[in-house]
Amino acid sequence: MQKCYLTGQNKYTQIKDRKDSFEEDAEDAGGGLDGGQGKRKMRQQPLPSAVRCMMYGFGDDQNPYTESVDILEDLVIEFITEMTHKAMSIGRQGRVQVEDIVFLIRKDPRKFARVKDLLTMNEELKRARKAFDEANYGS
Amino acid sequence: MAAPGEAARDGLGAAEQDPPPAGPGAEEAAGAGGAGGAEAGEAGAGGEARAEAADGEGRSAGAEAADGEEPGLQPCAARRARLELKERKEKKQKVDEDEIQKMQILVSSFSEEQLNRYEMYRRSAFPKAAIKRLIQSITGTSVSQNVVIAMSGISKVFVGEVVEEALDVCEKWGELPPLQPKHMREAVRRLKSRGQIPNSKYKKIIFH
Repeated sequence: MQKCYLTGQNKYTQIKDRKDSFEEDAEDAGGGLDGGQGKRKMRQQPLPSAVRCMMYGFGDDQNPYTESVDILEDLVIEFITEMTHKAMSIGRQGRVQVEDIVFLIRKDPRKFARVKDLLTMNEELKRARKAFDEANYGS
Repeated sequence: MAAPGEAARDGLGAAEQDPPPAGPGAEEAAGAGGAGGAEAGEAGAGGEARAEAADGEGRSAGAEAADGEEPGLQPCAARRARLELKERKEKKQKVDEDEIQKMQILVSSFSEEQLNRYEMYRRSAFPKAAIKRLIQSITGTSVSQNVVIAMSGISKVFVGEVVEEALDVCEKWGELPPLQPKHMREAVRRLKSRGQIPNSKYKKIIFH
């Protein structure tokens, strides 16, 4: 754990070091469970809290460093941007379609399986929802 | 049938335990319906094959690749292909059920902290609105919902890969979590050299 050589304090900040932490934020962009963010928001993106929860879920500490979260968030945005650009250049130009994404992912087994699972489950849920609604109308 | 409705409201990034039990049930119904339909097709195909035997032989080589509909195949080959398909589906269902049971046993034996982490792992997801806004700001046109679903799913897997690699790096350097930026950057460098991070900024010269 590195310490700043000038002040001797911890070099990286965790959320629990901030005085105004663990406050349930009213705004919820629908992403994950809000672990409590400080009052000042350095960026206007609702991604950070989701990334924070994800890092904990994947094995990091319960309070990951803010700097690491920022790095990951930048990585994710760059990843999505790259994927979108690539998807726009293949298949039907200028549009992003699911088939293009699946084509770009075909070499990566984890992502491919995940996309297949998600889309299959989406279809099942839609079917179940439709059947549920029809049952409602019938009775 | 309240369970599927509730599961639907959870959002697709979560995919809780409820859908899997409903999944095999729905799959079974679909499989039975498919088998019934294929049988009716086979009765018609049997009559057809007797009428035009030579044509059926020529087409069977190509049609053998497609498991589903086989008009023109010999009846016994069609039946065999359909049986194989049904067997494979049943085996897959049984494997799914086994896996679900194993998962349930595993999750029931988690400690408090592990349960917390597992819940975070399943429930965390990117907000669909933000992803949709990001993609639309890049393309300039609107995108379908499936694209947003696929993209958020892939991003979550991507985060997982980076975090796992960073934890490996951290352990290798003999340090403890929480992860520091130097671990993340080393993890990204490793993933890049493996080609798992897309980078279209410069062309790769193959034979230098």
